[in-house]
Amino acid sequence: MVNLAYVARKVTGLLITVFLVLTFNFYLFRVLPGNPVTLLFRGVGLSAEQIRELTSQFGLDQPLWVQYSAYIRNTLSGNLGISFQSRAPVLNLVLPSLVNTAILLSVASFLSIGAGIFIGIVSAWRRGSKIDITASATTLVLYSMPTFWLGLVLLFIGVIYLHLPVGGMMTISFVTIGALPQLADLTRHMILPLMTLVLGLTGQYVLVMKGALLDVFTEDYMVTARAKGISNSKLLWDHGFRNAVLPMMSLVALNLGLSIGGAVQTETVFSWPGMGLLIYRAILARDYPVLQGAFLVVTVAVILTNFVADMLYPLLDPRVT
Amino acid sequence: MTLFALVITPTAIQLRSVSAQQETTFTMGWAAAPMDTLSPTAITLYDGGAYLIMHALYDTLVMSDPSGNPVADLAASWTYKTPTTIDFKLVQDATWHDGQPFTSDDVAFTINMFLNNPKLAYMQTYVSTIKSVQALDKYTVEIQTKAPDATLLDYRLLGVYILPKHIWQNVANYSSYTNDNPVGTGPFKFVKWGGPNTYVQYDANTNYFLGKPNVDHFVLRYFTSYNAMALAIQSGEIDYAGPLFPPAIVPTLTSTKGIQVVTRPDQRYYYFCFNAYAQGAGNPVLRDKNVRIALSHAIDNVQLANTVWNGTATPQNTVIPVALGQWVNPNTPKYSFDLKLAAQILDTAGYKAGSDGIRVSPTGVRMTLKIEVPSNYAEEYRAAQQIASWWNQIGIDAKAQITDVGALADEVAAWKHDTFIWVWSAGASLDPDWFVSMFVSTESKPAPNPGLSDSGYNNSTFDALYQLQITQVDAAARRSTLYKMQDILHQDAVYVPIYDPGAAQAIRSDRWTGIPEGTIPPESQGASNNLLRNIKPASAIAIGSTTMDTTTLAIVAVVVVVIVAIAAIVMTRRRKSQPTGH
Repeated sequence: MVNLAYVARKVTGLLITVFLVLTFNFYLFRVLPGNPVTLLFRGVGLSAEQIRELTSQFGLDQPLWVQYSAYIRNTLSGNLGISFQSRAPVLNLVLPSLVNTAILLSVASFLSIGAGIFIGIVSAWRRGSKIDITASATTLVLYSMPTFWLGLVLLFIGVIYLHLPVGGMMTISFVTIGALPQLADLTRHMILPLMTLVLGLTGQYVLVMKGALLDVFTEDYMVTARAKGISNSKLLWDHGFRNAVLPMMSLVALNLGLSIGGAVQTETVFSWPGMGLLIYRAILARDYPVLQGAFLVVTVAVILTNFVADMLYPLLDPRVT
Repeated sequence: MTLFALVITPTAIQLRSVSAQQETTFTMGWAAAPMDTLSPTAITLYDGGAYLIMHALYDTLVMSDPSGNPVADLAASWTYKTPTTIDFKLVQDATWHDGQPFTSDDVAFTINMFLNNPKLAYMQTYVSTIKSVQALDKYTVEIQTKAPDATLLDYRLLGVYILPKHIWQNVANYSSYTNDNPVGTGPFKFVKWGGPNTYVQYDANTNYFLGKPNVDHFVLRYFTSYNAMALAIQSGEIDYAGPLFPPAIVPTLTSTKGIQVVTRPDQRYYYFCFNAYAQGAGNPVLRDKNVRIALSHAIDNVQLANTVWNGTATPQNTVIPVALGQWVNPNTPKYSFDLKLAAQILDTAGYKAGSDGIRVSPTGVRMTLKIEVPSNYAEEYRAAQQIASWWNQIGIDAKAQITDVGALADEVAAWKHDTFIWVWSAGASLDPDWFVSMFVSTESKPAPNPGLSDSGYNNSTFDALYQLQITQVDAAARRSTLYKMQDILHQDAVYVPIYDPGAAQAIRSDRWTGIPEGTIPPESQGASNNLLRNIKPASAIAIGSTTMDTTTLAIVAVVVVVIVAIAAIVMTRRRKSQPTGH
């Protein structure tokens, strides 16, 4: 059973981690060469007064510790600041991007975890057979392909031959359309980025599932169960899979948290307005408030999903306390 | 799965056929230039693409014609009462999108708003020369400048979007006002947008004073990559694409039926810079004019235009881009590409080759030079490598490298660089002032330099001419001053101008026509709304075909169903047989 002291310890650990990450991120972004103002002036005439004005607007002329304490104070009160680029509150930028990324990545994760488990089981059960070799080889090759390249290839095939949309989340329309057609439109736009992500992500799940299952097959209790005459399907699911799923769960928890950061390459190729694209553009412009806000969200997401995994572990495996 | 396919297929038909009813929509794709905001007061200097949103919605007092000359927009005509006082007679039939009439009060209000709020940093550069503005009567506005300003009509006023006083006078905080329902006088009215860097939808303004647009709707779509945008125009999802297609993608577009690529010189140029700053931290040999002249003889910009831009860039000889036409001095001499002559000049100046073949200065400094390329212009690396190979042939230890753009900006501010290739771009401006402003000696300050200069140029004669040209409202007089300045810069050789790559923009010529003839790019970064006003359907056809989409979607759905079915069958078969062991 989960006891309160355990939970309390974990939560305290969480908060400390978040605070440390915030501090580290703050420093990290300012270490990047170039600052937001110097990167601007190649295309427009910036007078010395404008440079000074912008520098003070961005708060960059104050000593670092002053900027830092202002940042911590604001964050704790829920004010994530204002984007240098668009002057919009960072929260208004990060939340919709988060939702868009969540839509894409939750479906992609679901499909790739499902496919990974399925193929992993088949490969482990039929180890050494043609199915195993083909499946493992294919998923590994796809996993090691550069996502950007894979995305562009799929984009090319999809747009030219299948007339799928080139990017974005919805078709731009001047008439209001109902919920079901909107859902269908969203699905059409998701097909290509989904395929890119799933083809790329499945490989790692296949490897872990197959490895864990093969490990379990070597255990003595599997031989005992077979000797007792247990059917193949019961053997596989009740004895094999349920023990092999633990390492799989760790990987799933880790990846789900990290995927909140968005799949930058996929979102760039398909112009999917999610977190990855937001972070990428903010890095290019050294938009510190957006970077800080986005990284805060990613940090919290990773920590939360790992926390949930920590809480669930004892339920799955009574040996863990 | 089949349910999924059945849901998609009919709705795809529905979406397409609705837009096919007689209403025309012009969709423009714009790549890599952020469109962050709907508010002219919130535009930041990052918003390379915001002008597109703005000039569909708003007008300015003057705008550019397709050959770069200032012509009437909201100001029907203007006269100089004195060199610093200009009276503008405004059009009398313009209305705001909400129906209110446009008057001189709106102009005075807008300009005063920017003058009185220096925190609106983006707009300051456009009003910095204006001293005051006054509405003389309902349709006349008088602008007084601080000094005679030659840049007023072809640069400054091009960027001042006139805003409605009756709306903006109620705004409490200009810089955070997001302008969610913009009202302007422009050819298109705002419908909605998808947030920063997504898309904006407009309806035509049927009461537009310069004439109703030829399309019913306009959509502006932001793309993050030129590759994706090229596919979009090839598949017909968008009708126009820009602003600057890379040379690698252009052949794919020109070879597609129904697409025309229009390339015209752009208001920007690539240049090679020598760090000649007297107190710099780069290789000191570059402070010697003879060295710079010799090295200028060892750069062939025609060859570079061919190597990097497949011949689509226009080599140029002076610091003013080819696109700025009348301001470019046609007689400024060129340093001929001659490696022997370069070597000779270096020998005569005392830079003899050492035992390892690398030249050494009379004071013992080795001629080791870095040629840097900023990471956001990585295609110029080939040019840098070519230059390095030419220089290696005359005894210079030259190395080309790509440097992160932020890091390079920091290096330049600290005067640590030797040489690099970069770009100067004027955005919407058609004025030459920007391109000579970085040579003024006040732009070179000790590290960290907040000024524009990257060459450290310091010449009091040049400074005097610069101060003069900016006041010369008479074009002929100004031209003569600018010509002299270009000659001086040539003699001192702190830059080697390379080329103006032009702007390659693509249009679906099978569906659209009406691109204005001229010398500047059709969509010239906000200098006007010429393209939007003149574009019209080639014939009254609906956009998008319906049958293809539904058929292919059905095929995809069927294929998926079949694969799943096969997999299911295979799995159940396998289940029944024995496992092959551990």
